[in-house]
Amino acid sequence: MASRVYPTTLKPYGQALVDVARDRDDILCLTGDLTRQCEIDLFQEAYPERFIHAGMAEANMMSMAGALARRGHIPFVHTFGVFATRRPLDQIINSIAYPNLPVRIVGFMPGVSSPGGPSHQAIDDVALMRSIPNMTVVDVADATETRQALEAIVDVKGPVYLRLKRGEIPVIFGDDHDFRLDRAQVIRGGRDLVIVASGMLVSAAIAAAETLVAAGIDTAVVNVPVVKPLDTRTLLDTFAGARGVVTAENHLVTGGLGSAVAETLAEAGLGIPLRRIGLQDTFAEGAKSAPSLFAKYGLGTVDIVGAAWELVGNGTPAPAVEVPDLAEGEYAPV
Amino acid sequence: MTGSTTITRDELAHLIRLRAVRMIATHGFGYLGQALSSAELFGSLFADHYVHERDDLIVSPGHYIIAAFAAAPELGLLDEAELTTYGEDGSRLEAIGTEKSPVVDLVCGSLGTGLSGAVGFALSNRLKGLTDARTFALVSDGELEEGQLWEAAMFAAHNQLSNIVVLLDANDSQVDGPVSSITTIEPIADKFESFGWAAFDVDGHDSDAVTAAIAAAIDDPRPGVVIGRTSTIHGLDVLPPDADGHFIKLPADLAAAAIAELEARRG
Repeated sequence: MASRVYPTTLKPYGQALVDVARDRDDILCLTGDLTRQCEIDLFQEAYPERFIHAGMAEANMMSMAGALARRGHIPFVHTFGVFATRRPLDQIINSIAYPNLPVRIVGFMPGVSSPGGPSHQAIDDVALMRSIPNMTVVDVADATETRQALEAIVDVKGPVYLRLKRGEIPVIFGDDHDFRLDRAQVIRGGRDLVIVASGMLVSAAIAAAETLVAAGIDTAVVNVPVVKPLDTRTLLDTFAGARGVVTAENHLVTGGLGSAVAETLAEAGLGIPLRRIGLQDTFAEGAKSAPSLFAKYGLGTVDIVGAAWELVGNGTPAPAVEVPDLAEGEYAPV
Repeated sequence: MTGSTTITRDELAHLIRLRAVRMIATHGFGYLGQALSSAELFGSLFADHYVHERDDLIVSPGHYIIAAFAAAPELGLLDEAELTTYGEDGSRLEAIGTEKSPVVDLVCGSLGTGLSGAVGFALSNRLKGLTDARTFALVSDGELEEGQLWEAAMFAAHNQLSNIVVLLDANDSQVDGPVSSITTIEPIADKFESFGWAAFDVDGHDSDAVTAAIAAAIDDPRPGVVIGRTSTIHGLDVLPPDADGHFIKLPADLAAAAIAELEARRG
C-alpha cells in the first residue's frame, strides 16, 4: 500500500500569527535575523510597531523577551530551533522559565528537516526544553495543527516552545482536527501495536500503520503534538493490551517523545516492549536534501514498520513499504 | 533631584554599610564587599533620583541585592526588622537575589543578563508611552566579561533607549581575583562610548560626583552609564586590606569591631 501524499501550503504560521495578533495589542514579534525564514515578514508588514529586530543576539533576545513579558506583553520569539534553544539555554531558564513568564519561543527547522548540517539541525531542542520546569513543548505535524496550536498557546500562563517545520508545510488534518494542549489525539485505534508520533513523523506513522494493518496487525496511531505536559492518560488507555509500542520523532530518541513514552510505560509497570524511532545518539550531517537524511538516519516509514515488526512479526520478513512519486507542491513522508 | 527618600545620599550609604555588616554578621561571611563598594551608587540613586512608582530598578548581579535590601527601609519598601532574616532558611531575603526578592523589579543570579532586562523594560515603557519612566540598572564590572551584556548595549543604543541609566560598580573584584588580573576590560568608558552610550567615569565613593553623573546620564539623549570606581573594603577600616571582596569573612570579633566602627562614625 502506498504512503499517503499530502498537499502543501506556505506560511501557515506567519498568517495565523497575523490573524491572532489583529485584536491582541499585547502580542509582540521578535526576530533573530531570520524574519522571512520564520514567516514573520507577514507580521512585520501588518504591525511594524510591534515588530522587534533583535539581530543575531539570541541571549539578549531571550532575556529581553522575559522582561517584556513581565510588563504584560506576550513576546513571540523567532529563530531556528538550534539557535532558539542551545545558545540561550541559560537565558531561557533564568529570564523566562524560572519566573514562569508567557514568552513563546518559536523554533523553526526541526531535526534533520534542514540539510544544513549539525549546526543547523535541531535534534536536541525538545529534550532541552522538556527538561525545563514550567515549559510547555509543542511539536506540530501540519499546517492545520500549526494554526490551532498557535491559537491555543497565546494565553498559556507560562512559557511555550513551539517547534515548526520551515518552507512547504503539509496539510494532513482537516478542519475537524481538534488540537488540545492537554490531549493526545488517537488518529486511529488498534489493539496489537501502538505507534506514538509527533511533528514531522506523524505522517510516516500514519503510512506505517496502513502498511501494518494491511499485513494483519491491528495498529493504533497516537499523535502527540504536546510533548510536555504529556497526556499520559490517553497513552495508557491506548497501550492497554498492546504487544508493542513504537515512538517516532524527528529528534534524538533521548530526552524527547521516546523518553517521555518510556517513562510513562515504566511508571505504569505495563512491561510492553518499546522501540524508539529517531536519531540514535548521533549528530547528522549536511546533505543536498532533507529526505535523504530522513532515510539515512532511520526516520522513515520503513523504519517504523521494521521496528514494529520486531515486536509483533514473529520473526517473519517485514512487509514492504512503497514510497510514492511526488508532484510539485506535494509532501509525503520518507 | 527627585528621589523618594528624605534621607541624604551619604546617610543612606552609611546605613547600607551598617545594615549589611549586621545582615552577614550572623552568618560569619557573605556579600559584604558588594555593599561596601556600591553604597554610594545606591545611596545617590535612591536619595536623589529613583522614584519607585515611576522607575524600573534592576540589580543585575544577584549578590548585590544585599545593598538594595539594606537601603529599602528608607524607601518604604521593607520593614527594617525583616533584614534580620537575610540569608536564613525560608526567608524571602535570599543572599543571591531570586524571584522572591522584594524591592527591585528584576534581579539576576546568572551574571550578565540584567542589562537585557533593562532593555526589555525600557522597550515596554516606550511601547506604552511611559516617557517619564527611567530604567536604572546596577551592573558590576566583572559582568562586562559576558558577551550578552554587549549584545544588550548594542541593542539599547541602536534603538535609542535613552531612558536607561546603568550604574556600573567598577570595584575590580571577581571570584578569582582582581578583574584586571583576569581580563582587561578597560577602557570601559571608551567601550561604551563606541557602542553609542554616554559614559561618565567617576569616583564611585564620591557621592556628589555620582549623583551629578547620574543626572548627566539622565539628561543625555543616549543610554547612559555611570562608571563608579570603587573598592570592596571602602568605608570599613577594620577589614584587613587583603579581604576577599567577593565573599568577605566576618568572624564574631571582627563583626563587633565593624559595627562599633560604623556606629561611632554615624555619631
